Amino acid sequence: MIDPMVVELSRWQFAATALYHFLFVPLTLGLSFLLAAMETVYVTTGRTIYRDMAQFWGKLFLINFALGVATGLTMEFQFGTNWSFYSSFVGDIFGAPLAIEGLMAFFMESTFVGLMVFGWARLSKAQHLAVTYLVALASNLSAVWILVANGFMQDPQGALFNPDTMRMELASFGELIFSHDAQSKFVHTSIAGFVTAAVFVCGVSAYYMLRGRHLAIAKRSFRMAALFGVLSSAGVITLGDALGFVGAHAHPSKLVAMEGLWEYEEPPVGFNVIAIPNEEEMQNDYALRIPYLTSLLVTRSLHDPVPSADTLIERADERIRSGIEAVTALKALQDDPDDTEARARFEAHQDDLGYGFLVGFYAQDQDPALATEADIQRAARDAIPNMAIVFWSFRVMVVSGLLMLAFFTLAVIFTLRNDVHRQRAFLRFSLLMIPVPFIACEAGWLVAEVGRQPWTVYEVLPTWMSVSTHSVNHLIFSLAGFVLLYSIFIAIEMYLMVKFIRQGPTEHGHATAVAAK
Amino acid sequence: MKTLMHFLIYLTIAGLVILLAIILGDYGTWYFAWLLGTVMLVLISAAGAALLDAQEEDEGRRRD
Repeated sequence: MIDPMVVELSRWQFAATALYHFLFVPLTLGLSFLLAAMETVYVTTGRTIYRDMAQFWGKLFLINFALGVATGLTMEFQFGTNWSFYSSFVGDIFGAPLAIEGLMAFFMESTFVGLMVFGWARLSKAQHLAVTYLVALASNLSAVWILVANGFMQDPQGALFNPDTMRMELASFGELIFSHDAQSKFVHTSIAGFVTAAVFVCGVSAYYMLRGRHLAIAKRSFRMAALFGVLSSAGVITLGDALGFVGAHAHPSKLVAMEGLWEYEEPPVGFNVIAIPNEEEMQNDYALRIPYLTSLLVTRSLHDPVPSADTLIERADERIRSGIEAVTALKALQDDPDDTEARARFEAHQDDLGYGFLVGFYAQDQDPALATEADIQRAARDAIPNMAIVFWSFRVMVVSGLLMLAFFTLAVIFTLRNDVHRQRAFLRFSLLMIPVPFIACEAGWLVAEVGRQPWTVYEVLPTWMSVSTHSVNHLIFSLAGFVLLYSIFIAIEMYLMVKFIRQGPTEHGHATAVAAK
Repeated sequence: MKTLMHFLIYLTIAGLVILLAIILGDYGTWYFAWLLGTVMLVLISAAGAALLDAQEEDEGRRRD
């Protein structure tokens, strides 16, 4: 028997560590390419100021990178310690991209980071530039493999369940890495990292301009980040829309929660700009709507149906009943693998096996075969994720994205006129913008992960079955330990960042001085 | 000989890039878009810095 409190605490532990880790990741993804851009200008023009810029921002990159690694390592161990059934059930598929991430991307990234930091005096300009590009590429390759693994959890492609081994097995590596969910998620996440880095560089550069320090470096950093950011934020918004379109088809329950759609409506369906989802009554207590917009965003048409919670619950109800048949047939097959009748019954219902597992959480002795009508209805209702969290996280992400686009548009106008250093109000606003992309990234992560509930692997493996059988005390202790440790990491990061930003870059020459070849 | 070697190296790189573009274009359109988009972002950002240098040099000349 799995204790529901163990499930909750395991989720909290993973969520807490992932949220902490995801504070560091986006900055690494984006800052690495901004460093590459700065160094490209240094190598092509020979102006030493761009080397000073690359070295200064590289120092901040390194602090963030080190703490990102420290917080990320424990997450991979958690799959084994806290999610052992999950690891056993889908390890064949999930393990491959994680292993490739470690062996290929992370090792490459870590090796070249060392060369990037310590290689300025030892490598030629071109060699160092190549190293910086490899760091940027490897950081983002790392994200590719993690998001391929995550994409499988959101939309399981390229795998089949084997009733004889009771595990999922990899059927097509190509389908796994080229799944639309994995691809769109990677592009959206990576570009969100670019936006984060651009806001960070603009904010810190604004700090220097407000104090009249390091003006030449600050103006150039601001210019590069503003251009990088305006294109990235336009990209992240359009890619987010495309990701929503892909997700609407692959993962309708998440879409329903993002849009606050409780009851089926004839198309075209309006967009809930603001709503107060009421989980008990399964309705929005208040909603401010824009007509037609959800249909256009989700189906690109005014006539195609848009999913809603009530239709999905009805569908889940049917699939749970079919899934119970699959689970019972599976048990018969475990007792006698040559039972042809049980095999035929299993094959007829195997697409709904996950739903059969899902109802087990509510059934007596956690046995789906003992599920009552009330258990089935409760499981079907819980197939829709927590609407309030997903709905509001989505809106926080979208509003932050639009705010950043507006910010970068103004930033580009001011910097192209070369008078951004005189716009003191805007520079103060730039400083205030620094937390916004981090909040947006965390909100986006909540949409993706809370929106996947109650599944760890969508429609295949429910969350409650995925956990290890730890005691509640064990989990409370380790959760408290993680929160304490990771809070210390964040404090260290903040301290080091502030310290090195206050110190400022080391300048070796005038902005227009051409370095000796 | 050196020119021939350079030609062969660049030809191989070009071939690999075309192959990558075909594979990604067919199966991984999002990855392909990311590759192109990121290169564009880096180049535009770098070009912006070069433009600022030119603007400042121009302003400096006008002041003088």
